[in-house]
Amino acid sequence: MKGVVFNLLEEAVVREFGPDVWDDLLLRADLSGAYTSLGNYDDEEILALVEAASAALNLPRAEVLRWFGRRAMPILKERYGAFFERHASSKSFVLSVNSIIHPEVRKLYAGASCPFFHFREDAAGAVSMDYDSSRRMCDLAHGFVEGAADLFEETVDVSHAACMNHGDAKCVMEIRWAR
Amino acid sequence: MGALNERKAPAPPEDTVAELNLRLLKLEHRFQRERAARLHAEAIAEKGLRDLYERQQQLVLLETIATVANQSRSVEETLRVAVRAVCDHTGWSYGNAYRLATAGPPRLTPADVWYAADPDRLAPFIALNQQAEFVAGQGLPGRVLGSGRAAWIADVAEDDNFPRADAARACGLHAAFAFPVLVGHDVLGVLEFFHREPVSPDEQLLGVVGQIGTQLGRVVERRRAEDKLMHDASHDPLTGLPNRLLFVDRLERAVAAHRRRSELGFAVLFIDLDRFKLVNDSMGHAAGDDLLVQIAGRFGRVVSEARGADAAPLVATLARLGGDEFTVLLEDVGGEAAAIELAEALQETLRRPFQIEGQDIFTSASFGVASCAAGYAGADEIMRDADLAMYRAKAEGRARIEVFDQSLLADAKRRLATETDLRNAVRNKEFILHYQPIFALDGERLVGFEALIRWRRADGEIAPPSDFIGIAEETGLIVFIGQWVMQEAFATLAAWRSAYPEAGPVTMSVNVSPRQFHQPDFVGQVMAAVRSSGVDPSAVRLEITESVTIQDARRTKSILDELRAQGVRVSIDDFGTGYSSLSYLQQLSFDTLKIDRSFVTALKGAGGEEIVRTILDLARSLEMDVVAEGAETAAHVEQLREMGCGFAQGYFFARPLEREAAAALLAAASTPDPGAD
Repeated sequence: MKGVVFNLLEEAVVREFGPDVWDDLLLRADLSGAYTSLGNYDDEEILALVEAASAALNLPRAEVLRWFGRRAMPILKERYGAFFERHASSKSFVLSVNSIIHPEVRKLYAGASCPFFHFREDAAGAVSMDYDSSRRMCDLAHGFVEGAADLFEETVDVSHAACMNHGDAKCVMEIRWAR
Repeated sequence: MGALNERKAPAPPEDTVAELNLRLLKLEHRFQRERAARLHAEAIAEKGLRDLYERQQQLVLLETIATVANQSRSVEETLRVAVRAVCDHTGWSYGNAYRLATAGPPRLTPADVWYAADPDRLAPFIALNQQAEFVAGQGLPGRVLGSGRAAWIADVAEDDNFPRADAARACGLHAAFAFPVLVGHDVLGVLEFFHREPVSPDEQLLGVVGQIGTQLGRVVERRRAEDKLMHDASHDPLTGLPNRLLFVDRLERAVAAHRRRSELGFAVLFIDLDRFKLVNDSMGHAAGDDLLVQIAGRFGRVVSEARGADAAPLVATLARLGGDEFTVLLEDVGGEAAAIELAEALQETLRRPFQIEGQDIFTSASFGVASCAAGYAGADEIMRDADLAMYRAKAEGRARIEVFDQSLLADAKRRLATETDLRNAVRNKEFILHYQPIFALDGERLVGFEALIRWRRADGEIAPPSDFIGIAEETGLIVFIGQWVMQEAFATLAAWRSAYPEAGPVTMSVNVSPRQFHQPDFVGQVMAAVRSSGVDPSAVRLEITESVTIQDARRTKSILDELRAQGVRVSIDDFGTGYSSLSYLQQLSFDTLKIDRSFVTALKGAGGEEIVRTILDLARSLEMDVVAEGAETAAHVEQLREMGCGFAQGYFFARPLEREAAAALLAAASTPDPGAD
């Protein structure tokens, strides 16, 4: 997992709960916590942090990930504003993830293994998003979508039609924007 | 220790708490500073990584294009790869190439090279561009053509010099850039690219595509150089017409096409200018070249205007094989009729004179035609046959058109056989000499002989010179034959003089062919033959035809002067039948002039006498002796004598005689005439 994700998580936790909570999470997860955005760290570390947060906050893991995704979005916008500027809606932003955002990620991290999201848009404007990753972080993606909707001041509903965490071969999320 | 443990730790003094708080604050500030520095460092590093990545991608792009530019021989293929590679690199939706029009006003026209990741969505815009043309300054491509520099439009919808804005907007295209394909400062083409979003100018990208434009320019330049080399290798530099190489190549293809599909007929025309050498020799090579260029121009027009039976233009290749030889290949024709018709048109176009160095020059050409009807297997056969037909045209009196038929080939084979026989004849010494006496007309004294060659063939048949001298001259065998004639004739004369001293001084005339005369050591060969025979050089007469004298007057004069300095005498043979110029006659001081038999035969006819009298007057004023040939009757002899002609030979006196018969004549002349006493 890229260091920038750890940085985002730290930032989100510090903003909402203060720096001590982040230190506590690191202690619980038994991690050093020295993350630079340019670094690449073991996937286990992010999972351990999510577990620690889940235990500390008494929230399911999925909830933690969704919370994190949602809170990370404004921080991302502060750091990488250009990706947001060219979009008028969260939908077009979400749809640009494969063609714009992930190529940009690869510029920084040669060989980065970004998940590929397969999008299908129906006549009503709803988008079905396939997610297939060994990290099984569909809830993070879910949170990102919600966070994006917040940024564009839109309301969105995300439901998991299929989920790897529930034994499906891949995740399928149905995303509906409120009119 | 226990007591100590139980005691409460004393509260830190107030000032210490403040101190700790201050330290904590400082540490937090230090932490914030470090964090800010880390974020800044990361941002710098990210930018560096992003730039490095983009630079690498640009290098990959340049390398992709450099590779195809170095490997591909096709400009189009290189453009295609470049357009695709730039789209892939930038992620832009559509790229399109224009080339500079090769004809008409300078403008860009579609190169029929484009790429779109999703062509269906852009179909109307793509279709529009396949028809678009831009002059300098007009629209995006025209701007690049005018300035020779890359140009960028952030959003074509807001640009006031983008005529295709409506179509672009309809297809959802906004940003655009274009760059030139450059050779030096010349724009040879323009590549343009379009993107779905508005994008502000990217100077780095413009720099990269500028380099691509230069690379593409090198490909175009190299291709041009290759084309020029190919053109030069396959075309005649003087006339710009296809040369032999290209002609034979096309002919081979025509032969192959005809074999595949027999309805694809073809015909070949061989053209040889008549007496072109005369222009070259008398006016110089520059004049000759000028004439060839003008002829090529006239032929070219005729060929391009030629129409087939269906009034469609003929598929024709006019080529110059070299020298004054031209050829035409007609493809997709039924047979030789089209070729004959074209030959007539070509002949017609030569009727008007050519202006060469201010002079009117008339020329004609001989045409040989061969067609696919004979079922050829290769170009060499058909060229041989068209050539044979052309030679027949030439032999039949020039300015003619001859169509090849099998008898021509038979003739050629016969000639080849004769040539082989002739070589053997030289080796086996199958030649003999006959001697025709020459008489002085005052008293009909025998004054000499003309040695005339005969070929006694293996079957015993005696062949006259007309059967073999032409071939001997062509093959160069004449040099050996001529040498033998001199040796044999001079030796015979020497033998006769010692056998019949009383017969008085008789001369021996031998004929010298042009080829023999122009041997580098001709004088040496003559003198060697004279010396080895032991005859007096002054008894020797070398007979030279007019055609010898016109080839190189200066050299001819120096050879004649040298011979005469050695005491050998020289006659001009067949006078009046060639193209003698009187000035040559004056410069080239001959001793004797021989009037051609045709004038003697025509003595009785209208004006016949005047001609002979004129020749005699001419000879007298140039102080030359005159021998009339072909004196067949007493009337001829009487008339010639009356006009003051000194000498004659012909059937009236004697036919050419075998050596023994000639000797007998000498013997008779040695015996004192009883009547003279």
